[in-house]
Amino acid sequence: MKNQLLHTPEGVRDIYNDECMKKHLLQDKLKKSMECYGYRIIQTPTFEFFDIFGKEIGTTPSKDLYKFFDREGNTLVLRPDITPSIARSVAMYYGEEDMPIRLYYMGNIFINNSRYQGRLKENTQIGAELIGDNSVDADAEMISMAVECLLAAGLEKFQLSVGHSDFFAGLAEAAGFDEEEAQELRELIGNKNYFGVEEALANWEMEENLRELFRMLEGFYFSADEMERARTLAVNYPKILAAIVRLEELNKALEVYGIGKYISYELGMVSNYQYYTGILLAGYTFGNGEAILTGGRYDKLLPYFGKNAPSIGFAIVIDQLMAALARQKIEISVPQEGILIVYAKQYFREAAMQAGELRRNGTTVELIGMDSFHTKEEYEAYGKRNYRSQVIFLE
Amino acid sequence: MSDNRYLTFALGKGRLAKQTLEMFEKIGITCEEMKDKSTRKLIFVNEELKLKFFLSKGPDVPTYVEYGAADIGVVGKDTILEEGRNIYEVLDLGFGECRMCVCGPKNAEELLKHHELIRVATKYPRIAKDYFYNKKHQTVEIIKLNGSIELAPIVGLSEVIVDIVETGSTLRENGLFVLEEVCPLSARMVVNQVSMKMEHERITKLITDLKSVIEKRR
Repeated sequence: MKNQLLHTPEGVRDIYNDECMKKHLLQDKLKKSMECYGYRIIQTPTFEFFDIFGKEIGTTPSKDLYKFFDREGNTLVLRPDITPSIARSVAMYYGEEDMPIRLYYMGNIFINNSRYQGRLKENTQIGAELIGDNSVDADAEMISMAVECLLAAGLEKFQLSVGHSDFFAGLAEAAGFDEEEAQELRELIGNKNYFGVEEALANWEMEENLRELFRMLEGFYFSADEMERARTLAVNYPKILAAIVRLEELNKALEVYGIGKYISYELGMVSNYQYYTGILLAGYTFGNGEAILTGGRYDKLLPYFGKNAPSIGFAIVIDQLMAALARQKIEISVPQEGILIVYAKQYFREAAMQAGELRRNGTTVELIGMDSFHTKEEYEAYGKRNYRSQVIFLE
Repeated sequence: MSDNRYLTFALGKGRLAKQTLEMFEKIGITCEEMKDKSTRKLIFVNEELKLKFFLSKGPDVPTYVEYGAADIGVVGKDTILEEGRNIYEVLDLGFGECRMCVCGPKNAEELLKHHELIRVATKYPRIAKDYFYNKKHQTVEIIKLNGSIELAPIVGLSEVIVDIVETGSTLRENGLFVLEEVCPLSARMVVNQVSMKMEHERITKLITDLKSVIEKRR
């Protein structure tokens, strides 16, 4: 009967022992990387009013949200994403601030997606937001910090795809697609279904320049030369042109940071989150079926909450990063520290006093009373298992 | 990106796999191990090209690819639509061509015109639902079956069916007709999102090579 009590619901799980320790070490590394860039931590509630994550915001679809009611009948939602909460809270508490605001957060997010069997519904996310700065420098800082975080995590091989949401939006506008047609095409492009895109465009009247620009949606690694070509083609389409110019400027800024080898430009990037309005970001590495890092510029999100400020940010799903590290056999090393004191019962007083003194000096001390069932070797193994650097016997 | 990594292919069992391998042979990708009919192996390796192949049930192919257990998969468009996974659909291989259709007895044609609530039997509930709800705006009751779908309207389980039609001979023999076409189908190559990025060069070459074979066939 009691066995039922031991289970956790589908999609959530316990994280304990080594794994939990390693997760915390990884989190510390990521936090440190963000603090190095001058970002300060912020905490927002785990659940919020439904409207914060509603359709107008353009985050996770409503059917994938965990919803419940408060005593007054308001619909509440477990956050599927933290950026909208940050936007709300910044609009509320930093309304008058006209200098850049740098914030980072870490917390669990909840997405109720039953299709993804074998995928967790609760994940830990860490992310950063730079609010009130719409310069290329801000874009570059964000991307450089993203690279820094993945390097700090211990990844060696990864790629950050950089795109611009206005490239496709501009194309759709220039070609005169209505919302439904644009959405259909966006889906095809999101699935990299280029024969589908070609088919859809074949019968559509448009300028040859525009057609060639459409073909550029296909590339995964866009070079500076190709970018220049795109700029020439887009000369009559201000929205597309602005997107390309922005990417070119960004490329120059990123050269300064010297992280070129991790970056690739992908004009065909589209995001599921509709709040993005500029640079788009996605980080990929082996051992994971999907991006472990996503982000972008969202200049219209804060105005929605009443503060007129542009922003850019990204988030890393820590659990997926952990999985990728494990599959690439990259160890997160747990330092051995602290002392295990194993005392015979009659030495309790000495053990406790010694432990107290050591702890006052900042040393970790674990106390354990010896019993007659366990051997010395077993206590030593126990100490080792718990990453203690020393085992002392008082007997 | 990495020279020693295997590219893994998941192929839908049966005719599709056979045709895929024939096409792969034309671009110099062979897997001798797989031709041995008596083998009990589950995974076949081409050491020279660093490729691995395995066969799986069609509907499982998108799953393997989504999670990155396979980099590349070959599967019918019907399965891709039904499974709705996050994968890249990069190439229409051009074989296994057929259509997804609404079929039924002639007198059922009338029922499709007036937004009436009807029963639809199918092996593809997702495709059927999407077609009736989002394209036709007709509310229907969907009955999931696992085979011999044609039976449903004959024995009165449903008014119409949504199923794959190749030649239409089974339909004719049982007094059923194609009433509406949902979409054309064929074999597609699908790729994992991360693989597309990390193994870009190898996969792009594969796609380009296959494209030229497909074009020649046309």
